Amino acid sequence: MSGGKGFFTDTTLCIGCKACEVACKQWNQLPEDGFRFTGMSYDNTAHLGASTWRHVAFVERPMALHPDQDGAFSWLFSSDVCKHCARAGCLESCPTGAIIRTEFETVYVQPDICNGCGYCIVNCPFGVIDRREEDGRAWKCTLCYDRLKEDLIPACAKACPTESIQFGDLDQLRTHAEERVEKLHERGLKDAYLYGARKEDQPGTEGLNAFFLLVDQPEVYNLPPDPVVPTKKVKDAWVSMAATAAGMALVTVASILFGGKGDRS
Amino acid sequence: MSNMATRYPDSVDPTRTDGRDINCEVAELSGEAGSQFISRSTDEHTGSIAKAWNALPEPRRDDPTYYDRPMLQEPVWEWAIPLYYYIGGLTGASLVLSAAAQLKQAAALDLLIQRGHRIGFIGSLVSGGLLIYDLGKPSRFLNMLRVFRPTSPMNMGAWILSGTGASATGALLLRQRGGLLGNAGGFLGLIAGVFGIGLSTYTGVLVANSAIPIWQESRKALPVLFGSSALASLGCTFDIFCERPEARRITNLIGNVGRAAELMAGMAMERHASAVPRVGRPFKRGISALMWRGAAFLTFASLVVSTLPNRSRKSRIAAGLLGTAGSLLLRVTVEHLGAVSARDARASFHQQRAGRGAAELKKSPQAADDGTDAARLESSLDLLGDQRRLL
Repeated sequence: MSGGKGFFTDTTLCIGCKACEVACKQWNQLPEDGFRFTGMSYDNTAHLGASTWRHVAFVERPMALHPDQDGAFSWLFSSDVCKHCARAGCLESCPTGAIIRTEFETVYVQPDICNGCGYCIVNCPFGVIDRREEDGRAWKCTLCYDRLKEDLIPACAKACPTESIQFGDLDQLRTHAEERVEKLHERGLKDAYLYGARKEDQPGTEGLNAFFLLVDQPEVYNLPPDPVVPTKKVKDAWVSMAATAAGMALVTVASILFGGKGDRS
Repeated sequence: MSNMATRYPDSVDPTRTDGRDINCEVAELSGEAGSQFISRSTDEHTGSIAKAWNALPEPRRDDPTYYDRPMLQEPVWEWAIPLYYYIGGLTGASLVLSAAAQLKQAAALDLLIQRGHRIGFIGSLVSGGLLIYDLGKPSRFLNMLRVFRPTSPMNMGAWILSGTGASATGALLLRQRGGLLGNAGGFLGLIAGVFGIGLSTYTGVLVANSAIPIWQESRKALPVLFGSSALASLGCTFDIFCERPEARRITNLIGNVGRAAELMAGMAMERHASAVPRVGRPFKRGISALMWRGAAFLTFASLVVSTLPNRSRKSRIAAGLLGTAGSLLLRVTVEHLGAVSARDARASFHQQRAGRGAAELKKSPQAADDGTDAARLESSLDLLGDQRRLL
């Protein structure tokens, strides 16, 4: 996996400005997907989708951020994005080969190949990729593939005013992220941890190329606690299918041999 | 498309543009999502947007979610896909029946074989049509065959369906001819039987290979459920249409075994998924629970009517209709269970917290290697070669 590029999203630095959402929409020429009031804190984006490739979550917690602090309220912000998993459910399930691993180790949907079967959508353990009905194809974050090819950093990372979204070589990002966690622990924020930074942290996806620093349980940010690429579990189903196939053949042949008895008598 | 993107000249209202707000007289749509098509025939906004709450979510520290919003995306498949599961199952089972009957080489079974091939031929055509209809880009359906990808049950299914259609067509056209052509037709009939088994069971794997908790937890039962339901559908179809007693004795037996197996596989599926109560909840609550019970009831009723002694033509048709309705409802319900499960973030969270996420794989290290092998196989079989090439 070395040589890969990715994101390190340090949620402790996020101020919820949504510049990443806007920059992403603007650079990628994404349309809006509805102006609607959700009532969920200051989050009217709600979720990643076909036309929303960055989404800032606004978590309102009835507790203090820091264990030493007083108070009964704290904010958590987190800019969510496609995780570009090392083992990607969308890529492995794609029946057309439209979803590929690029030279930057990112996961990319080729819009001129995708035939909109919708299988990747049920195979993403993070609920990232989606199909826009009128368009008919599946879309998600490209990790600014067009910009990377020109040696530019992705639009969201470029626009982030606090460096909450950091882009770079995965090896360096991981080292840097681990130092950051140590620093936060020293300052007393013992809850800080990395989500999906290394294969060992998240064996189900074998690590995320877009990983996060979180300070609460993953569920709070709408992230799964122990995600797994469906392909890792499907062997059970193939074995079951083989047994079913044998059973069907047996039942049918036996019925032909014995069910037809008596028709000549 | 460039017209769609242009902001209407005398409007600054974002609902009157395609939602990009780009003036194409001065800019071009060359961004990564520049080709994303947006229809704006009405002012109605589309997209996956939060629905209004009926009640405010209560934050729970012991069982947190993000405002009770879904974590996963809902499946986008519509009615055509469950209908395909049914038709594909029936098609596959008919071809298995024909192949098995061919093995016996009895002249009395010739009509049965022919009927099986006819169902196989029509069924493959209809199956293909349903699958193409449900694609977001139907004109690109052949893209399914540009790779051979064992990690994708849907890709495997596309190949299985193609093989089924081709071999069933050949068998139907050639088997009754004389000489070499007839032999080839007979051989194709046997091949069609093998493909048919695949066609009626792979859909279980297709559904099981999913991040949606209720489908993932049902992965061992789903192929059995779909396979036995295919046998039941076959029995029911012959119950309704077939008048010849010698064929009926065979298909009735197959149908009854299928019905019984379908009921048992359904119970197993519910038990597996309910190991984590939150995952199994759609079996117990709401419309999905009603549908699930309804499907089982119809199949059970069909089994009872079908096993009554001294059956009249009317009771046979009743059994066939009940069983067909049961099989159809079962496929629709499996689809619906997935949608309900995807909407419930706690289903995923509880499943994974209960050690049924990736943690489960540690017990069987072989399972972890499986995908890698498949990926390696895939790269060696990739029909168009370099996947990294961007067109």
